[in-house]
Amino acid sequence: MKFIKKYYFELLLILPLAIYILGFTIVPILKTILLSFQDKNTGAFGFSTYQYLFAKKDFNLAIFNTIAVTIVGLTFQLVVGLFIAMVLKYNFKGKGLVRSLVLLPMGVPTLVSGVTLLYIFGTQGYLNELLYKLGIITKPIAWTSGGIKNIFVIAFADSWKVLPVVVLLLLAGLESIPNDVYEASAIDGASKTQTFFYVTLPLLKPSITMTMILRAVDSFRIFELPKILAGRVTPFLATYAYDEYSYNNLNASAAASTILLLIIIIFMVLYFRFVDRGEGVKGEK
Amino acid sequence: MKSRKFISKLFFYLGIILIVLFMTIPVYILFRVSFAVPEDVLTSHPKFLITRFEFKHWEQVFRSGNLWPPLYKSFIVATFTMVLALIIAAPASYAISRFDRKIKYAIILTLFFTRMFPNVGIALPISVTFLKWNLMDTNLGLVMAHLIEQLPFIAWILVSTFETIPIDLEEAASIDGAGRLRTLLKIVLPVAAPGLAVAAMFTWLNSWNEFTYALYLSLTTKTLPLQIYYYVLRGGFFQQAAYSTILTIPVLIITFALQRYIRSDYLGGAIKG
Repeated sequence: MKFIKKYYFELLLILPLAIYILGFTIVPILKTILLSFQDKNTGAFGFSTYQYLFAKKDFNLAIFNTIAVTIVGLTFQLVVGLFIAMVLKYNFKGKGLVRSLVLLPMGVPTLVSGVTLLYIFGTQGYLNELLYKLGIITKPIAWTSGGIKNIFVIAFADSWKVLPVVVLLLLAGLESIPNDVYEASAIDGASKTQTFFYVTLPLLKPSITMTMILRAVDSFRIFELPKILAGRVTPFLATYAYDEYSYNNLNASAAASTILLLIIIIFMVLYFRFVDRGEGVKGEK
Repeated sequence: MKSRKFISKLFFYLGIILIVLFMTIPVYILFRVSFAVPEDVLTSHPKFLITRFEFKHWEQVFRSGNLWPPLYKSFIVATFTMVLALIIAAPASYAISRFDRKIKYAIILTLFFTRMFPNVGIALPISVTFLKWNLMDTNLGLVMAHLIEQLPFIAWILVSTFETIPIDLEEAASIDGAGRLRTLLKIVLPVAAPGLAVAAMFTWLNSWNEFTYALYLSLTTKTLPLQIYYYVLRGGFFQQAAYSTILTIPVLIITFALQRYIRSDYLGGAIKG
């Protein structure tokens, strides 16, 4: 009661936001989870929807693809993002312009980046033409015809789009490392590689954690890019859930979403348990 | 020694050129295709350089009558989403920023975790409910759906905006006899106005680009992203490029205008653009 008395004005201000999030986010998620445990025909509670899903080849493929695209995409984004961030930490002529150009994909909607990469990875697209001109291939490669190639194309598309965010997050982390740390390691005679692995990376850990978590959650939920670039050839969990919805299989759609939520939660738990041990998020904000 | 320095410098600039090319080429190709003469791009050997312009696709886009309804819908939905998000989230964010540290972090983490939920999982029961409420295909329905994603986003940004406003300012006002609501409206909000404006514009962009909820909640009407998707499915090679360019222009302008405001705490709220 004391709490309410002390904060009545604040609570009043928060109320609309809280009600909205409760009614339009928490309740729907609970409804989805509940729906996923109901049988489509009888409405009885049980695991029949899950049995139906796991018996389907497409669904298992969707789980595999979702995890694969996250691993491939995140690896690429962290490596390339860190590289670009380190370059941008130096002072050089035209740095402002380069920084702006690196931010360019941020100004391109995700959907549009999918369309653009369609022109690049299409069978008659620009990548094939480039490889042809360079003499690497003679016959065009069908990049988006399905299978593992599609995963790489989508991971690439996703990476291109989000690299600015990754670069900015890592750059902020790099810039927060004080210079005397580097001076000290130079005095101790550390080589550049040693400095990178024993000084920069450990100090960058909070930023890397933040980036990993934000990116992984988005990457698991990937939806627009596969819809544009892969159609139904390469299912992902989110697009699979939509497909079941569009066939009016609401229970199956709900179950696919629940599995997706479960994967995200498992990832977070494992990450904080084994990689970060709770130092990352606390360092932020 | 000198030549070694020269070589490492050369590699450095080569790296920069590669980075810039990597980031810009896809945008160039989009622009290029939207103005291309069909023979230049619709072959197995598309041309890289622009040698001639063709405005026919653009004329078709403007004349077909397929442009204005989605453009209008996207604009209206994005604008109302922005206004409502501000009205609901701004006071709440102010309140959150004035709580004790512990409560504040708990609320911020809760906001963060709502971002974790798969949006297909939220969109499913929402679309079932909206079907019952007759909100399918309406602007109101889409605004309400977009608020689901945008409220945590804008609140996350605004909490850090309000945190920077010193509490002394309010104390001074309350000594002068102003009530708390009056203090908020007359003192705090005007000081926070620039931050509010930036956050609002990002919200507008997010709604303008939104695809998932629009797909779930639209049966006959289309937003601009849905129109692009429609042409992707139908294989409208040039329409895709032209509509994509139209969708991109405001995003590009606003993103670059607001470039210096993009800080890492904004990114925590996940700007995707």
